[in-house]
Amino acid sequence: MITLDRLNRSEAARYLGGAKVEMNDAMRALIDECEAQLLDTARPKYLYRVVDLPDETLIVGEDIKRHLSGCAKAVLLCATLGAEVDRLLRVTQVRDMARAVVLDSLASVAVEQVCNKADELIAAQNPEYHMTFRFSPGYGDYPIELQKEFLRRLDAPRKIGLSANESYLLIPSKSVTAIAGLSTSPVDVKKRGCATCNLRKTCRYRKNGEHCDI
Amino acid sequence: MTFESLLQKKEFILLDGAMGTLIQKSGAKYDHCPETLNITQPDLITSFHKAYIEAGADIVYANTFGANAYKLSDSGYSVEEIISAGVANARKACEGTNALAALDIGPIGMLLEPAGSLRFEEAYEYFKQQILAGSDADLIVLETMTDLYELKAAVLAAKENSDKPILATMTFERSGRTFTGVSPAAAALTLSGLGVNALGVNCSLGPDELEPVISEMTRYTDLPLIVKANAGLPDPNSNEYDILPDRFASCVRALLPYGVKFVGGCCGTNPDYIIELCKMLKEEHYQPCPKSADTAVCSAATVVEVDCPRIVGERINPTGKKLFKQALVDNNIDYILTQALSQVSGGAEILDVNVGHPEIDEKQMMTRVLKAIQSVCDAPLQIDSTKPEVLEAGLRCYNGKPIVNSVNGEEKSLSSVLPLVKKYGASVVGLTLDEGGIPKTADGRFAIAEKIVDRAVSLGIDRRDVYIDCLTLTVSAEQDACRETLGALHRVKTELGCKTCLGVSNISFGLPNRELLNSTFLTMAMEEGLDLPIINPNLEVMTGAVRAYRVLSGHDKNSRDYIECYNDFSSAPKAQPQGAMSLEDAVYSGLKNEGAQAAQKLLENTDPMVIVNEMLIPALDRVGEDFEKNKIFLPQLIQSANTAQECFDVIKKHLSKSGESSVSKGKIILATVKGDIHDIGKNIVKVLLDNYGYTVVDLGKDVDPQLVVDTAVRQNITMIGLSALMTTTLKSMEETIRLIRQTPELQNPDGSSRCKVFVGGAVLTYDYAMKIGADYYCRDAKESVDAAKDVLG
Repeated sequence: MITLDRLNRSEAARYLGGAKVEMNDAMRALIDECEAQLLDTARPKYLYRVVDLPDETLIVGEDIKRHLSGCAKAVLLCATLGAEVDRLLRVTQVRDMARAVVLDSLASVAVEQVCNKADELIAAQNPEYHMTFRFSPGYGDYPIELQKEFLRRLDAPRKIGLSANESYLLIPSKSVTAIAGLSTSPVDVKKRGCATCNLRKTCRYRKNGEHCDI
Repeated sequence: MTFESLLQKKEFILLDGAMGTLIQKSGAKYDHCPETLNITQPDLITSFHKAYIEAGADIVYANTFGANAYKLSDSGYSVEEIISAGVANARKACEGTNALAALDIGPIGMLLEPAGSLRFEEAYEYFKQQILAGSDADLIVLETMTDLYELKAAVLAAKENSDKPILATMTFERSGRTFTGVSPAAAALTLSGLGVNALGVNCSLGPDELEPVISEMTRYTDLPLIVKANAGLPDPNSNEYDILPDRFASCVRALLPYGVKFVGGCCGTNPDYIIELCKMLKEEHYQPCPKSADTAVCSAATVVEVDCPRIVGERINPTGKKLFKQALVDNNIDYILTQALSQVSGGAEILDVNVGHPEIDEKQMMTRVLKAIQSVCDAPLQIDSTKPEVLEAGLRCYNGKPIVNSVNGEEKSLSSVLPLVKKYGASVVGLTLDEGGIPKTADGRFAIAEKIVDRAVSLGIDRRDVYIDCLTLTVSAEQDACRETLGALHRVKTELGCKTCLGVSNISFGLPNRELLNSTFLTMAMEEGLDLPIINPNLEVMTGAVRAYRVLSGHDKNSRDYIECYNDFSSAPKAQPQGAMSLEDAVYSGLKNEGAQAAQKLLENTDPMVIVNEMLIPALDRVGEDFEKNKIFLPQLIQSANTAQECFDVIKKHLSKSGESSVSKGKIILATVKGDIHDIGKNIVKVLLDNYGYTVVDLGKDVDPQLVVDTAVRQNITMIGLSALMTTTLKSMEETIRLIRQTPELQNPDGSSRCKVFVGGAVLTYDYAMKIGADYYCRDAKESVDAAKDVLG
């Protein structure tokens, strides 16, 4: 069980316009309300499974090979905030769009926090290994089509109600699937950075000389 | 042995235990789907079935749980091959015994609309294929469902493509709901209505934790219940379950008094569990458990029991509403959703939905609107149309148990509407009129009511699911008619055992201070036995009358709801905000009320178009520039845009009063492309375009290319905006643009395209946008406005 008690607001603010924008009282109050509502609505769930490497089905493309090099095993992981958050986002988009974009950013931050917590729990249960950072289908040349395989191996639809549609979008939308390497020797845990990010050409943060936290 | 004779012969029906657990334990290897073992290792699968039959199982589930076209797509086998082999294996194990073989069907593996993108109609086709392939089975089991909508598609597919008995079970979380938020009560009501043979729970939790779910289900159904629980919870490391066979059986025993007739095991169970259940059942007797709740309607998440007056919101109806009619013609679904949500905020517990309008395809619109309302609103709905084909389309796509509005005493109506009500397990409003019109007397209306109720009961509809409407006539035209209506209402309620409803507002037509008459009439009607007042819930005096009545009649125990509604109530008039703000400041700060006031004031001495072009638009531009320069956050930009919208509305109203032309600068289509369901970006663009004075035709998300083209042709629109979030859905964007360019109606005489297409989305780049043939690449909502200005001015 993972519970969130607070959200990374500065990261959410960055999604909403960048770290350099000055926050006024009205915005701060709006974010407060939305944070409380989101924490109340989210039902964070996660699943993981350790697999032996090499695994021909899972290791496709150069980026993931590089990411998992030197790892004997890997962790398949998925996490979601649950269907109620999607519903909240849908309803709020009808009622109040400004509020909806704040909730949407906070939800993106929240699911990332759930993954970070899951990482810690998994690492604690596998103390004999060093764990790399997460790498998700769709990053770099790692095929998004693997989404289906991840979900199937984790039995995610049945166990936590997480599935994908025919375009491989995760449903509920505030969800993540990822793989992280387990190695007996120390690994570089640096985050994946901009090089393998598909958004690097259009990213608003990069344009502003910033970067996101992923 | 048939299912019916099994039911008669045995007090309890013993189901089998887990298949997956046995497969896993055996170490059998398979690619992707365990169902392929039906073909690669038929003897192994048959031996599992046999083990369960020897343990005492009366019904075994064939190994076909995931055998649908989606999950089998990369297995190398067809649905027909896997299912016929699976059913044959189960059949073989049953040979020489009294056991029955069930076709087992689980969830498709993709989520249905509105959470996902699989359409209800597509889900139906997946299930239909499985049901046809399993024609050799004795019965059909639908299990481990988390979405009532998906389960409804499966039940309809089973009913319409076979005559086999159906067992339907869902899996619940510890919260007492399924992953998609379905309550046990809603599942019981909906499935009973759809005519399954038994319903209940499988998988979920251990039987020790299922009492809350089972006890809630049994209140809402007369059907026998099914419990096929997990063997507790799995240990995350060893994957062993924590409830052993004898304890499993004793936990199940504790659930039998709730009308449980079918028991078995799910994940983690094996033949030992079935042996223990078999022993335990020999000492027990089946205890049928008739439903104890009053009649109810529901959505998938919310059940409304009609045990006291419940408010039906009347506002989703174009009759007499110019804006609503325009919204229907423009496909402006958001307008209707806003109406739905504001009625629920006002106190509506059920919403009437009527979209009849001569200029639109009512059947298509009903389906679209019902699905959209259900995506944001939990209130049960009342499907309102005079056309049986519209009612049926609505009933099919509704998730839950709705009310049909309406049937009347005419033979044509009775014979076309009531069978639909029965088939889809709905409730129905019965109007007391027939070929001869509305009878003048209470006795005349009572006679028609009796005829409607009798006919409904003869078709197997519960009389409490019939809501008789004794019809409100205008008191200014016929003063005595009010008494007749109330007299008929009283007799219907006390003598027929059915429920009642009444549209209230008509009473006061043509008289001043209508609310006073309406609320007084409403109170009189409730005292005569009115169950469903159909009213405008946003009129405080009307909802207030219902809430007060519930207190005074003793329904609202300890006045709890009343206190919750009125605790902060103050009778002092609200203070008017002081100090006028300039229009520009109000827009910049995103203050709606102040903006509207400023616009109102300006209209007294300023030309409307001057306000729009010289004040509103420049103020919006300033906000847009600040956003680009990272001076404000996106929500602030949207708040400003919404404030501008308020100002526009004030100006539009002024213009329509003075008969001047509209301020629309032209129509723009917006759509999130096929396969993509993330539409927040598109919605932000919509808000901004709206507020710059463009009329946006929003086609929503997951939009078929053909719909974009058809809309453009039909409404003669030449500006189209497309959004796609993912690399995987950029293909759909390309396809949509190609179709736009290829459509002759959207071309100039020289063959060039008449349409300007602007595109946006997280992964899109300028180069890619140009490559797929877009005219504008818009990085954000602000740039979409720039594109619109460029094209439409």
